[in-house]
Amino acid sequence: MLEHFAAVLAPTNLLVILVCTFYGAFVGAMPGLTATMAVALLVPFTYFMDPLAAVSAIVATTTTAIFAGDISGALLKIPGTPASAAYVEDSYAIARAGKPRTVLFTALLTASLGGIIGVAILTAAAPQLARFAVRFSSYEAFWLASLGLTCAVFVGTSSVARNFASLFIGLIIASVGIDVVVGHPRFTFGSVELLNGISFIPAMIGMFALSELLRNAQSRDPGRLATMVVEPVGEALRAAFGHVRRYKLNVGRSGVLGTLIGALPGAGADIAAWIAYALSRRLSRSPEKYGRGHIEGVVDGGSANNAAVAGAWTPAIVFGIPGDSVTAIAIGVLLMKGLTPGPQIFTTDAALVYTLFGSFFLANVLMLFSGFLAILAATRLLRAPRAVLMPMVLALSLVGGYAITASTTAIWIILALGALGFFMERARIPIAPAILGIVLGRILEDNFMVSMLKARGQIAPFFARDESLVLGVLTLALWAFLLLRAGREILRPRPLQRKT
Amino acid sequence: MRLGDVLTGGALVAGGGLVAHAARGFPRMAGIAYGPDLFPTIAAAGLMLCGLAIAAEGARADPGAAAEQERLAPGRIIALLGIVAGTALALPWLGFHLTFAAATLAACRVFGGGWIAAAALGAVAPLALHYIFYSLLRVPLPWGVLTPVAW
Repeated sequence: MLEHFAAVLAPTNLLVILVCTFYGAFVGAMPGLTATMAVALLVPFTYFMDPLAAVSAIVATTTTAIFAGDISGALLKIPGTPASAAYVEDSYAIARAGKPRTVLFTALLTASLGGIIGVAILTAAAPQLARFAVRFSSYEAFWLASLGLTCAVFVGTSSVARNFASLFIGLIIASVGIDVVVGHPRFTFGSVELLNGISFIPAMIGMFALSELLRNAQSRDPGRLATMVVEPVGEALRAAFGHVRRYKLNVGRSGVLGTLIGALPGAGADIAAWIAYALSRRLSRSPEKYGRGHIEGVVDGGSANNAAVAGAWTPAIVFGIPGDSVTAIAIGVLLMKGLTPGPQIFTTDAALVYTLFGSFFLANVLMLFSGFLAILAATRLLRAPRAVLMPMVLALSLVGGYAITASTTAIWIILALGALGFFMERARIPIAPAILGIVLGRILEDNFMVSMLKARGQIAPFFARDESLVLGVLTLALWAFLLLRAGREILRPRPLQRKT
Repeated sequence: MRLGDVLTGGALVAGGGLVAHAARGFPRMAGIAYGPDLFPTIAAAGLMLCGLAIAAEGARADPGAAAEQERLAPGRIIALLGIVAGTALALPWLGFHLTFAAATLAACRVFGGGWIAAAALGAVAPLALHYIFYSLLRVPLPWGVLTPVAW
């Protein structure tokens, strides 16, 4: 095994990992460019690499891109990747309170630690975890998606009715496109480009970025954003290490949770972050601070999403089942290189497996260096005048959306959902549950309809297997709890809080 | 009573009603009691229930507890939405560079920038975005009327 780890430390491999951590930091921090897109853009380059370097490049890029999504999330309230959306309200509020580097250094440290926990578990327990995850059928996938969506209502900072309203808006948006049962186009208004549904990236850019720009446009002060205070690096680093020490148990808990969730097919880094954030809030001594600039949620979400990146590789390498879209691309790259992921890969291509583990570990360490530089470069953005920065964010968002589909449909989606998001915020309906509804809506519907067809319309089979019974009962219990809370809120309306 | 909440609730009920009505027209497969309409109908019904709950919350709330909200500046909101719509319309034929030059210039003015800053941004921003997206990330940005001088 040692000679395999030595291969990881070969100068060429080290250089690939270092370059890719910078590349991942750059793409992840760009609004609208996801970790998946970063890896997809990398594929042509991996064609010219040997298999070990190709795997290292993919791993290093994903790891850093998932962290770097926090950078634009904290500075501009535009999550660079969906995995940062769960705690963007907190990270942005902390940055606006004059601690942008503190929140980002904390996110960097916890991402690195979460990633290292993830790779440790991946190395030790890959076959066992994959054996559990691979037993999931459409029933469990449906309940898992339902549980993820319920978590979004749980973490919402508004009333239950408003959080659920946002979620249903997201589910309706997700139902645009051809349906899974009879292939009928729904709500496409004759557009061919909408047949595949609303692309997630333009939707996220519209609801998060454009709505924020519209909110900013209400003031004509050209320099307002530049007044955001940036603290000295030393002070921020001390504060970040302090946060990590204080919440070390959260890092450990969310690292393990993120790895387990990441290993479940279809549940990637974004769901891991949502669930870790929701759990963190439930277990916290100060749950009322969540969503208003509380670092604890950033610690939990940030460590869980990077741990999930490692977790997603478990079913990918052991059974050839991708845990998320990145590992789906990675499997394609391995097949292109003549390597077939599966149980036998531990014996036939052990070098590859151990390089993967080693690269993951190194990427999470080297990310500290590239992430540090990325944070320093990005916080300088805040010194740019608002009248310059905001148009650049607008242009970046529109090009980022266009880049996904190479069609102006993406810009129309940004426009429509940006206006919707703006008015939702004014009505104090949170945006985050709608975003998760858009992400998980199709997975939820597909698995629900497939399960209904298998069960011939009966409900009992949804609870027939042990795994589905546990997940189903848990989800239904949460729904019942939320309904009770909604009833209480209608009878005793809460005083309104001022928008931050 | 908080009028804003009642209006929000009403809008959600109306929106959910529209979606449910549209979903009724989706075809079903023979012999199966559920089809493409099931999921949108469930979501629409949920949205309508939430609308009713929000309206009920508003109807029972203390009117004195109204939150301070930033005042709406409709002119600049419409201008920004117009810039996005204009970008979508102009991009295919005018091309990336000219469209984004105009869009960033106009957006800079909306956010209170002077004419010189807006013109400078309009000149520099498309070139920077061109380098990042077209040259580095190989995104096929349209050249439009500048196709003869594409590099």
